[in-house]
Amino acid sequence: MLKVQDLYASYGAITALHGVSLEIAEGEIVALLGVNGAGKSTTLKSITGVLRPVKGSITFLGEEIANRSPESTVKKGISLVPEGRDIFGSLTVEENLRLGAYANYERARYKTDLEEMFQLFPILKERFHQAGGLLSGGEQQMLAIARALMSRPKLLMLDEPSLGLSPAMTDQIFDLISGLHQRGTTILLVEQNAERALEIVDRAYLLATGSLEFSGTPDELKRKVDIASVYLGGDDNDHCEVHL
Amino acid sequence: MRLPEKISALLKRRSTLVLLLVPLIAVGFALQAFGTPLILNIYTYFCVNLMIVLALQMFMGNSGILAWTHVAWVGIGAYASGILSMAPMVKSLGVPNMYPQLVELQLPVLPAILLGGVVAAIVAGAIGWPLMRLSNAVGVITLFATLIVVHVVMTQWDNVTNGPRTFFGLQEFTRLPQALVGAILVILLAHWYRESSLGLRLRASRDDRFAAMAIGVSVVQVRYVAFVLSALIAGISGGVWAHFITSFSPKAFYITETFLLLTMLVIGGQGSISGAFTGTAIVTVAREILRQVESGMNNSGMFSFEVYGLTELVMAVLMVIVLIWRPNGIIGGQEITWPLLKRKNRPDDGAGTDVVEPA
Repeated sequence: MLKVQDLYASYGAITALHGVSLEIAEGEIVALLGVNGAGKSTTLKSITGVLRPVKGSITFLGEEIANRSPESTVKKGISLVPEGRDIFGSLTVEENLRLGAYANYERARYKTDLEEMFQLFPILKERFHQAGGLLSGGEQQMLAIARALMSRPKLLMLDEPSLGLSPAMTDQIFDLISGLHQRGTTILLVEQNAERALEIVDRAYLLATGSLEFSGTPDELKRKVDIASVYLGGDDNDHCEVHL
Repeated sequence: MRLPEKISALLKRRSTLVLLLVPLIAVGFALQAFGTPLILNIYTYFCVNLMIVLALQMFMGNSGILAWTHVAWVGIGAYASGILSMAPMVKSLGVPNMYPQLVELQLPVLPAILLGGVVAAIVAGAIGWPLMRLSNAVGVITLFATLIVVHVVMTQWDNVTNGPRTFFGLQEFTRLPQALVGAILVILLAHWYRESSLGLRLRASRDDRFAAMAIGVSVVQVRYVAFVLSALIAGISGGVWAHFITSFSPKAFYITETFLLLTMLVIGGQGSISGAFTGTAIVTVAREILRQVESGMNNSGMFSFEVYGLTELVMAVLMVIVLIWRPNGIIGGQEITWPLLKRKNRPDDGAGTDVVEPA
């Protein structure tokens, strides 16, 4: 479904990605793991078109989408839940959701999609007319995910959905993500909390300093990489050593 | 659903409009029947200002970009509508150097006012695209520079504007009924725009530009549309204003006026139409009272010197106080709705409990 080949991206003089290739098939849930600065968010930004890649190709459903504008990637069916619960704080929950739907708006569909979101996230129905900025952190994350789903994406990309959430809320968000996958949504999940992510994904890619370190199933990854090491979300986040 | 139920449902859904329009129209009718000429004049002026401030709200309130150029569009609309509506003889008397082609033009007042808006929109459309690509400080400075450019053109192009001298001789077309109808139409338009998909996308880009891009909002495009639409309404309002005041000079479209408009918008709350409406009402009333006080002080001989600038001073202090007390304005970013005191946006007790601060 999505195929990234030999992707190079840079911020000015600093090259953030050195030839990253990855692939996601329809219906799969894939994790993109790595420490801060490994290039996870850069990869997502390049796919959505917020960042123009220097070199390499990105094809989605057989069509080249590198260097496309973010608007057209959303229309094609790729939806990103940005890092840090980027909801629109001064707009109501209703308006946030409506904005998500505008990318591929059909009036008849809007009502049914909204009902579906209420089933997935009952809290959003309660808070429908409240300003998004007044929701709690976990609720904002749910709103961000619901907003992305309102455009009926073929591929949903989540950037650090558990960042800054309490353990209980993190569990809830991960249950939700695997629920979405079971309903047939194709998902690319970027996480620092690797242990949690590996429980729910089919395959994982491991990025380190802008290039691919490893790819395979969670079991293979756990066997080859020292999962207990700090690096993958243990209790000491200061070290960044990989034991391959 | 039966008809009365339908109507009550509609009123409920559009309660903001009802809360703004009913008092506006009621007071208008009452004054038309019982008001003194002075009060009528003040109310007419209020309605015209309301048009201008709501046009400002459409762009600035929804995009969050400080729109320095707004008063320039008002000025272009004022001059253009005046040139189009005045009789050739009056024009050649008032503006001796005017281009002969312009002197010959004459249209009825209403089409002239509407065309004045179109002229302002065309100018805004021609220069707006690159401006809308800029953000934050750079964008604001560029808009300010644009205001200076327009002002210089107005003061120097004496074949069109009579230079820095007064441009006079317009017909007195705008009275209370015309201004009231104008204000009602602009309130409806601003409300429709704010709730429309275009307005919603613009507000999203104001909250978070990158998140808006990520969900497929073309930020430059929605800003540009708002900029041109706002200029169109500002230009039309400028024409309505010009045919109320009947004589003006480029001074009327510069920094002092910009500050007045900004005060009106910001005191009430730039994010909502209710806020713009409230701010305009407060500033209009406060200004008239202060003006009376000022002239009263000077006439009574209370002081040995002439009191000057009291209005501006108090307005500035008022603005500072409001911004400290309520940074989003008296009304704030949300529209007022019926019932009035139901605070549905109150922060919930549970808010924020499950957020863990990153270590």
